[in-house]
Amino acid sequence: MQIARRPTETWTEHPSPGSIVLDTRDLSKVYGRGKQRFEAVKQVSLTLHQGEVLAFLGPNGAGKTTTIKMMAGLVRPTQGRVTVAGEDPHRQPRALRHIGAVLEGNRNLYWRLTPAENLDYFGVLRQVPRQLAHRRGLELLARFGLEEKRNTPVQKLSRGQQQKVAIAVALIHNPRLLLLDEPTLGLDVEAGEMVKALVRQIAQEGRAILLTTHQLDVAEELADRVAIIRRGRIIAEQSTEALLREFSGSTYHLEVDGELSPPQIHTVTQLGATVRGTQITYAGTPENLYALLGALSPVPLVAVQRDRADLTQVFLKLVKDQPESSP
Amino acid sequence: MIDLLYAELKRTWIQFIRYPTEVISGIVIIMAVFYGLFASAQYMAGPGFAFGDRLDAVVIGYALWTLIISVNNDIAINLQIEAETGTLEQVFLSPFGAPRVFLARAFASLALRLVILMVVLLLLMGISGSRLAFPPTLLLPLASLLLAGYGLAFLMGAAALVFKRVQQILGIFQFLLLFLLAAPLEEATGPMQYLRFLLPMLPSTGLLRDLMARGLGLDWVTYALALLNGLVYFALGMLVFRWAEATAKQRGSLSGY
Repeated sequence: MQIARRPTETWTEHPSPGSIVLDTRDLSKVYGRGKQRFEAVKQVSLTLHQGEVLAFLGPNGAGKTTTIKMMAGLVRPTQGRVTVAGEDPHRQPRALRHIGAVLEGNRNLYWRLTPAENLDYFGVLRQVPRQLAHRRGLELLARFGLEEKRNTPVQKLSRGQQQKVAIAVALIHNPRLLLLDEPTLGLDVEAGEMVKALVRQIAQEGRAILLTTHQLDVAEELADRVAIIRRGRIIAEQSTEALLREFSGSTYHLEVDGELSPPQIHTVTQLGATVRGTQITYAGTPENLYALLGALSPVPLVAVQRDRADLTQVFLKLVKDQPESSP
Repeated sequence: MIDLLYAELKRTWIQFIRYPTEVISGIVIIMAVFYGLFASAQYMAGPGFAFGDRLDAVVIGYALWTLIISVNNDIAINLQIEAETGTLEQVFLSPFGAPRVFLARAFASLALRLVILMVVLLLLMGISGSRLAFPPTLLLPLASLLLAGYGLAFLMGAAALVFKRVQQILGIFQFLLLFLLAAPLEEATGPMQYLRFLLPMLPSTGLLRDLMARGLGLDWVTYALALLNGLVYFALGMLVFRWAEATAKQRGSLSGY
């Protein structure tokens, strides 16, 4: 992928590093009345800092898209409040200058227009001066490796290229918050990797990114923090690393290159490990691990690995284990 | 706002020019329908019948009807198309706010439609032998007509935002529009000569017929009432559109179709 210089940022001030970009408090959404009443989102409170990527995960119908749309000012919350860079998108339309969004299931672009024309148009629609929008559009196309396609109507581009143009359009006004609803859905492996690389780059520029995805490996790779929503309520929210650690076991798997001698097997077994050929499994204290390693000397080690949960296991466990309704 | 207007003009023009067959076929259909009506009316009236002034009034009524149908459907149909193609929510993410964006869109598409109207009028005059006058004062009642027309367009847009499927209403509405535009109620006597000022667009179309077909000057008192009529319907359209936007956001149905 082509990486060009960062876009011009002379027309908008940037906040101090680590400042809060998105803040939601007790966000709730109720649809319908009486018997039709359905509480889609219940008291969701989230904060997102500059340069941070938050993966918003949940089963279908859990309330992810409704929450994202409430953040973008597209669905009005029944209760609670949203602020983006200190402004409420439901009360102050100017708050929308801070928000870029690529929404799932939407084309997000005018298919009859070319990428360059889409960028020009949406730039002005987001209140970027016309000439600056044009310049930034060209920079984004160069940066996203779409220079050659700039004059091809969007409907003739591949799905991956269209998604890249949609992300470029979402960045045309230099927003501080980027909302990505299923950004890698329907993309082939190569295009998916490209979009992931872009998301990383965009976060490094200091933007806050909130993404929803069903592809948990994508979330694990990209997200600094994870929030899991189920039936409209957040059931877990912490850093990806802490969440994985919490759900990881303390069992170690060791592999040696060659047979252990009978005295070695005896010592290793005494320390609480089990030996199967060249595979050793140990579930004791971390201190005894070093004694175990000492006992294996001088047989060469091939691998020492601690059991580590992946996000899929964590997600499934959390979503299945939670009681139907929280108190 | 100037940038927005320019961007909308450019977008409208590109979309028009990139697939011109749609528009050309639209013009051909408008002409064919008129020619059919014109020829059958002549056949029924017999060869000795001369339309005279009335022909000019009919041509104006028909041309205005085609303009106002396209103006009127403009916002509602585009809202529906954009909800289906998935660009509508991006439009609602604009810090300008939806009413201003759609107003700029209305101006942009109007510019294009006026050009098309001129083409239609010239072709109609060629077919029917009608000779219409184009005094500059006709811009005034045209403006008040368009104000009321866009008021109705925003009302239809509001209906599209809240009820989603509005093709049926739009279809029926076209015939109501034909009455509002083609009926020469300025010649009416009795209560209708006053009531016509309450109906959308009617006072403006009467003035246009005066100017273009009857060779009369602009009656300023009637024009003041026509302008008031336009302003009231336009304001009503904008108000209801804002309400519809809030309702759609409340229901979470902005992108539905």
